[in-house]
Amino acid sequence: MFETRSRASRIVLQVLVTLMVLPFLFPLIVMVQGSLAGQGWENYRTVLSQPELPLFFRNSVIIALITIALVLAATMLAAFAFSKLWLRGREVFFWLLLAALTLPEVILLTPMFSISLQLGLYDTYLSVILPLAALQIPFTVLLARTFMNGIPDGLFEAARIDGATTWQSFLHVILPLTRPIAAAIVVLTLITTWNDYLLPLVFLQSPETQTITMLPQFFVGQFSNDQTKVLAAAVITALPEIIAYLCLQKLFERGLAAGALK
Amino acid sequence: MILSVGLVYICIGYTGYIATLDWDGSAPDPESVGLANFTRLFADPIFWRAMAHTVLFFVVTFTVQTVLGIVFAVILHSRIRLGVLYKIIIFVPVVLAPAVMAPVFRQIFAADGQFNELLRALGMGSLAHPWLADSATALPVIMGITIWQWTGLTFILYYAAMSQIDPEVIEAARIDGAGNIRVLTSIILPGVKGTTLAILMLSVIGALKTFDVPYLVTGGGPNYATEFLGTYIYRQSIPLADVGYGAALSIMLLILAVFFSLLVGSRQRKDA
Repeated sequence: MFETRSRASRIVLQVLVTLMVLPFLFPLIVMVQGSLAGQGWENYRTVLSQPELPLFFRNSVIIALITIALVLAATMLAAFAFSKLWLRGREVFFWLLLAALTLPEVILLTPMFSISLQLGLYDTYLSVILPLAALQIPFTVLLARTFMNGIPDGLFEAARIDGATTWQSFLHVILPLTRPIAAAIVVLTLITTWNDYLLPLVFLQSPETQTITMLPQFFVGQFSNDQTKVLAAAVITALPEIIAYLCLQKLFERGLAAGALK
Repeated sequence: MILSVGLVYICIGYTGYIATLDWDGSAPDPESVGLANFTRLFADPIFWRAMAHTVLFFVVTFTVQTVLGIVFAVILHSRIRLGVLYKIIIFVPVVLAPAVMAPVFRQIFAADGQFNELLRALGMGSLAHPWLADSATALPVIMGITIWQWTGLTFILYYAAMSQIDPEVIEAARIDGAGNIRVLTSIILPGVKGTTLAILMLSVIGALKTFDVPYLVTGGGPNYATEFLGTYIYRQSIPLADVGYGAALSIMLLILAVFFSLLVGSRQRKDA
């Protein structure tokens, strides 16, 4: 966007952006450096040898996968109905759904707590998966509907004329065309689910069910004041996310951009 | 079709179910206290402090994130070396869980932490002090962490929005003699107005939702200096087990959230 005609101005810009990026790098450097302080790599060995570590990972993976599957299925079907089917009160339901967009999760804490106790879901994966999915769906439906509105109705009608049922045309016409937005939804849901802290904090009590975001706190309890091991644990939990981002860079950025640009 | 509508009904029903429980099921022993919780709320100094923190937090984080996001996006759209590297560095915090980064930040801003070391190295050692234990500096630190975490998102959004601007328009402006600043204020900024509104909306909801960072880094302290609505609701509902009061606070938060999103939403429609 900016034009830099002279060599000097180009260098100034480069130096400027480097300086501005440094504060963003600083905490990451501190994290890695701190985790290697004291006993060096020994910190990692201690953390990795904790029997709970694979459990936390497994729990996060399970919760993320089920939530993504749930959100994706519900979103695609709902968005299809909102976008392409003529239903009575369609817009009313859509606005009811959108109103849920603004709900912060803390608000739902009390009612969800009593529901999960009554249903016997407390301290199970479902007590986290269901609220996570329910809070994610309004947003993803909004995204998917906007996207589906861009698919011409003619395609859908043509499939109808060729004798396809609504369900078949959804499966064979709409679904293949909505792959980009489906990918964005997967990424968005993955980030929210993987990083969520409040719900696991309240609903998951035993290490058998707790997620990766509880790990640093868990290690604070485990190693009391040994900061280096806590930081090593932080690095270990951060690594999969950074690797996933680097591998799917385009998908992440597109997904998040689609997320906010309604 | 039945399946899809059914699923939507379940979602709405679920939210509705929660909403009714929010009103009725607030107290575990169903002793009705009427509006007592709300009168208590308006007289509660900590509630008002939490509100003030939330507003201040919103104004500061929104302004800084927007400005930084625009500046980064503009610079990285200019011809610059290693652009991808900068992009990755700015964006990585977005994918990291606040819960994972919290111990790192506690370490950095501790009395013997890296931030104080940095200040001493820069010859500003007199400024060094325990940042999180001082109620005057704890809130700015929380804001700083949030800005660190979310600037990547505003950056990506602006970056995407700026690629939509037709280069020929900018070219034409240049031929007409517009400088860099003029191009920025007259073409780029109006061109990304929609993005700014979207970020405004995200920031309002984000500020109202703030929980992870203050809870994990300062626990709302010292002396309630970093108490937010989110952390206060949690403190009242779970550790203090005052579920009714927590629910009253939640209702306030809900009203605020809906009010502001309607406000921003109507602005958005007017501009469109």
